[in-house]
Amino acid sequence: MDKSLNSGLSRRSFLKASALSSGGLLLSVALPGCAAIGMKNQGMVSAGEWQSNAWLRIDTDNRITFILDRVEMGQGTYTGLVTLLAEELEVDPALVQVEFAGVGSAYDNPLYKLQITGGSTSVASSFKRIRLAGASAREMLKQAAAQVWALDNTSSLHCDNGQVIHSSGKTLSYGELASIAATFSVPEDTALKSPDEYRYIGKYNKRLDAQQKVTGQAVYGIDVELPGMLYAVISRAPAFGGTVKTLDSSAAKAASGVVDVFQLQAAGRSGVAVVARSYWQARKAQQLLQIKWQTPEVAPSSDAIFAQYARDLDNEDGEQVRDDGDFSAAAEQAASTLSAEYQLPYLAHATLEPQNCVVKADADGMEVWAPTQSASMARVAAGKHSRYSLDDIVIHTTWIGGGFGRRILQDYVAECAVIADRLQQPVKLIWNREEDTAHDWYRPASLHRLQATIGADGKASGWQHRIAHPKVFEWFVGDAAPAQYPFMPKFMFPMLASAGKLGEGILAPKDSSGYEGANDVPYALDNIDVRFIHSEPGVPVGYWRSVGFSHNGFVTESFIDELAHQQKQDPLNFRLELLARHPRAQSLLRRVAQLADWGRPLPGCHQGVAIHKSFNTWVAQIADVQVEGKTFSVKRVVCAVDCGQAVNPDMIRAQMEGGINFALTAALYGNITLKDGAVQQSNFHDYALLRMPEAPQIVVDIADNQYDPTGVGEPGVPPLAPAVANALFAATGQRLRRLPLQLA
Amino acid sequence: MIRLTVNGVEHTLDVEGDTPLLWVVRDVLGLKGSKFGCGAGLCGACTMHLNGQPIRTCIMPLSAVAGQNITTIEGLSPANASVQQLTPVQQAWLELNVPQCGYCQSGQIMAATALLASNPNPSDADIDNAMSGNICRCGTYPRIRSAIHKAAGMMSAGSHPQAARNGELFSEVTLPQAANSEELSHG
Repeated sequence: MDKSLNSGLSRRSFLKASALSSGGLLLSVALPGCAAIGMKNQGMVSAGEWQSNAWLRIDTDNRITFILDRVEMGQGTYTGLVTLLAEELEVDPALVQVEFAGVGSAYDNPLYKLQITGGSTSVASSFKRIRLAGASAREMLKQAAAQVWALDNTSSLHCDNGQVIHSSGKTLSYGELASIAATFSVPEDTALKSPDEYRYIGKYNKRLDAQQKVTGQAVYGIDVELPGMLYAVISRAPAFGGTVKTLDSSAAKAASGVVDVFQLQAAGRSGVAVVARSYWQARKAQQLLQIKWQTPEVAPSSDAIFAQYARDLDNEDGEQVRDDGDFSAAAEQAASTLSAEYQLPYLAHATLEPQNCVVKADADGMEVWAPTQSASMARVAAGKHSRYSLDDIVIHTTWIGGGFGRRILQDYVAECAVIADRLQQPVKLIWNREEDTAHDWYRPASLHRLQATIGADGKASGWQHRIAHPKVFEWFVGDAAPAQYPFMPKFMFPMLASAGKLGEGILAPKDSSGYEGANDVPYALDNIDVRFIHSEPGVPVGYWRSVGFSHNGFVTESFIDELAHQQKQDPLNFRLELLARHPRAQSLLRRVAQLADWGRPLPGCHQGVAIHKSFNTWVAQIADVQVEGKTFSVKRVVCAVDCGQAVNPDMIRAQMEGGINFALTAALYGNITLKDGAVQQSNFHDYALLRMPEAPQIVVDIADNQYDPTGVGEPGVPPLAPAVANALFAATGQRLRRLPLQLA
Repeated sequence: MIRLTVNGVEHTLDVEGDTPLLWVVRDVLGLKGSKFGCGAGLCGACTMHLNGQPIRTCIMPLSAVAGQNITTIEGLSPANASVQQLTPVQQAWLELNVPQCGYCQSGQIMAATALLASNPNPSDADIDNAMSGNICRCGTYPRIRSAIHKAAGMMSAGSHPQAARNGELFSEVTLPQAANSEELSHG
C-alpha cells in the first residue's frame, strides 16, 4: 500500500462524511475556515446538508454518483477522474454516474486557487485527492459491514464490484451499507492501492462519454433550451476597442419576431444586440441594422505589430528568465555565431461549437448555462454584468464542443448576462462563426531572436533567446482575481483586477506565458541567456492549447536543429548528447527513433525530429514529410510520450493524436491577421482547419512508468511544427522560421 | 405551412420558408443532435440526410426541402438505445473511442453512414474524399478512418443485426416525444 501522500493533503481537513436526507452516504470536501461566507453557493443549500461541494454520493439503491469538478471538452477528464475514483472504490467505472459541479471553492483547482479546467492539470492535480475520496468511502463501507456482522475489525473483509465481501462469502451491497457508513467520521489513515493492485488505472480503455456523443444525446451549451426562451445575436465593433458611432435600428426593430434591439457594453466590447423569438429571425433582423463604428485611436495592422516587436527587441533588455554561465563572455570569445529570427502569428481557437450561453434572470436570481472552462469565473462575469450578487447566481456547466483555452475567458457569459438582466426573460446568445473568428482571445503573435555561439574548439558554447510577446495574464485577470475572492463585494472587483496586474505573484502564478518552454530549454550548453521583452500591441489574447510552449517549442526545437546542422551532427544524436541531464527525455528520443526507423524515411519522404517538455510531460515526435514542388504533406507522425503513470492509455493516445492534428492545422494554415485593428479572417474558407485528406498516420507510444501522472491535453502540440519544419529542411535545405510553414 | 418528414414523422410547420433546415430541426422539432458550426456549408457539423443523401442543413432553406424525407442522427437508432441497437457506424465509433469533444460527430456519423450506403467497402482515398467536408477540430480523423473500415467490415460480415438497415430509418415507433406532435409553430 502506498502511504506516501502529498504533505499538503491533510485528510482530517480534507474530507467530510455526512448522511443524505434520503439515506445514504455523502462525502464532501471540507471547506477551509474562511470560506463560510457565500455559503449559498458553496454548499449549505438546506439545513446542514452539504451538497454542491460534494464529490461522491452513494444512495441506498446502490447508485454511485460522482460530482465532476472539471469540465469535459474532449480531453477525457470525465473518464480519467471516474477511473481514479472507481479504482479505489472497487466498482466498474461504467457504473458511476456523473454530475457536473456548480460553483464551489471545494472544486478549485489546487494549482490555481480557481475553479478552472486548463493547463493540462486535471488528472495530475486530482490523482491523489480523488483516489483518497474513493478509498475513504471504501473503508467506511467496510466498517459499516463489520458493524452489521458484529466483527471486531475489517480484516476479513474486502470490496469488489460495489459490494463488501466477508471471507465466508457473505456480501452486503454499498447501497445497503451507505446509511450506516454515513454515521462514521472519515478515517485518517486510509491507504491507497499500490500500482500492482490496480484494476483500472493504466488499463481502462473505454471512453465513458462516447455513447451519448455518437447518438446525438449529449447536451452542449448551444443545446440548452428553456420554456419561453428568446434568441440573441450581437453585432460587435470590428476593431478592438471600437464603439458605436451612430445606430439606426428602426428597420431591425420592425422585423418579424424581433423583441428588442439595443446597444450594450460587455467584457470590454461595444455592440448592438438583437433579440428575437427565433435564432433566424434575430439573424435576419441583424442584417437590417445601420451601424457606423468609431474606430479607436490605436488600431494596429499586422505589419505594425511585428514592427513594434522588432523595435522592442532592438531597444529593450527585457526580463532575464534564465541565466546560466556567462553568455556575454561566451559571445565575446566565440569563433563564430549563428543567428536567426523566428516569427509566429496570432491564432484563433476555432472551437467547433461557437461561443454561446443561456441565461435566465428573474426576481429569484440568475441561472447561467454555459460551456465554460471555469464555472467560478463565469459567475464573476455574470455578476459584474448584472444586478445580481454572486450568491444569487447559479452556474450550470454543460458538455463543451471544444475548449482549447478559449472558454477560460467569459465574455460570452458577460454578454448574455447583460441581455437577460435587461429583459428578465430566458435568453440564448449564439455567436456565428464569423463572430467567433473575429472576436477571439488569440494565441499571441510573437517575435524571437536567437543566437548560438561556437567556441574556438568548434563546439556550441552558448544560447541566447530573446522573445517579444504580450502578457496574457493581463487580459484574463479581470474575472480571475475576483473569482479567487468571491466573498468580496462587487465594487471591489476592479481593485482586485488591478491588484492582480500589479502583484500577480499574490493572486496567481507568475505569468510565464511568454517564455515557458524557452527559459527551461533542456540542452546542456554552458552559457544560456533567455529574456522576455514585454510588448503589448493591444490585441486581446488568451490561452491557446499549450500556451507559451506552442511558440517556444517551435522556436527552440527549430533552432537546436539549425545548431545541429551547423555542427554537422545528426539532429537526433546532437539532442541526445545535450540531454544527458534528462534521462527520461533521452530514453523517449531513443524510443521514437526506433519506432520511426530514424534515418530510413517512408518512400519519398524526409524526416524531422523534435522533443519538448510542457505541463511536466515530455513528448518526442518524428514527422515523415513528402515535398512536391512548393507543397508538402505530412505522411506519418510517430509520437512517444512520458506522462508518468498512464491512467487511461487510450485517452492519452487520443490526446496525442488530437494534439498533433491541432498543431498541424497551425503549421499548415493558422494565421490571424489584422488590418486597422480588426481581424481579417471570418470562416473556415479563410481560416482553414485540417481536414481528413491532410491528416497523417499517427503512431503513439506511452512510456511505461509509475511516476505521478502529468498533463496530456496540451503536450502533444508543441513538438509537431518543429518536427515538420525540420523535415522540410532535410528535404529542401530551406529553413522555415515562420508559421504557417510555406516553402519558397 | 410547409410539410416535412423527419425521421419518419410528418410535420406541418408554420415557419418562414427561408429558415435553414438546421434551425427548424433543432429549435422547432427539438432534435438537438445536429450541430451548428459554420453557417456556410464548410464544416459538416449540421449534416442530415435528404432522401438518403448527406446535405448541409445550415444553408438549406426549409422551403427547398418541403415535402421531402429528412433523417437526423436521432433517426439512426432508438432513443436510449442499447449498444446492440446502434448502427454499425455508431458501434464502430464507440468501440474505437472516436469522439473527443464530440460536437462534430453527429455530422461525421451521418456522412460516414451515407458513404457506406453507397460504397460498402471504401478505400482510404474513398474515405478521404467522402469525409473531406466534415471538420473535426479535436483531430479524431485517424479514428474516424479506422471506424469506417471497421463498420464496413461489420456490415459485410453480415453478422451485424443492424447491418441491413444501416443508413435507413430504424422504426417510427420509438421516436423521441418532441418529434411526434403534428403541428408545430415557431414565432
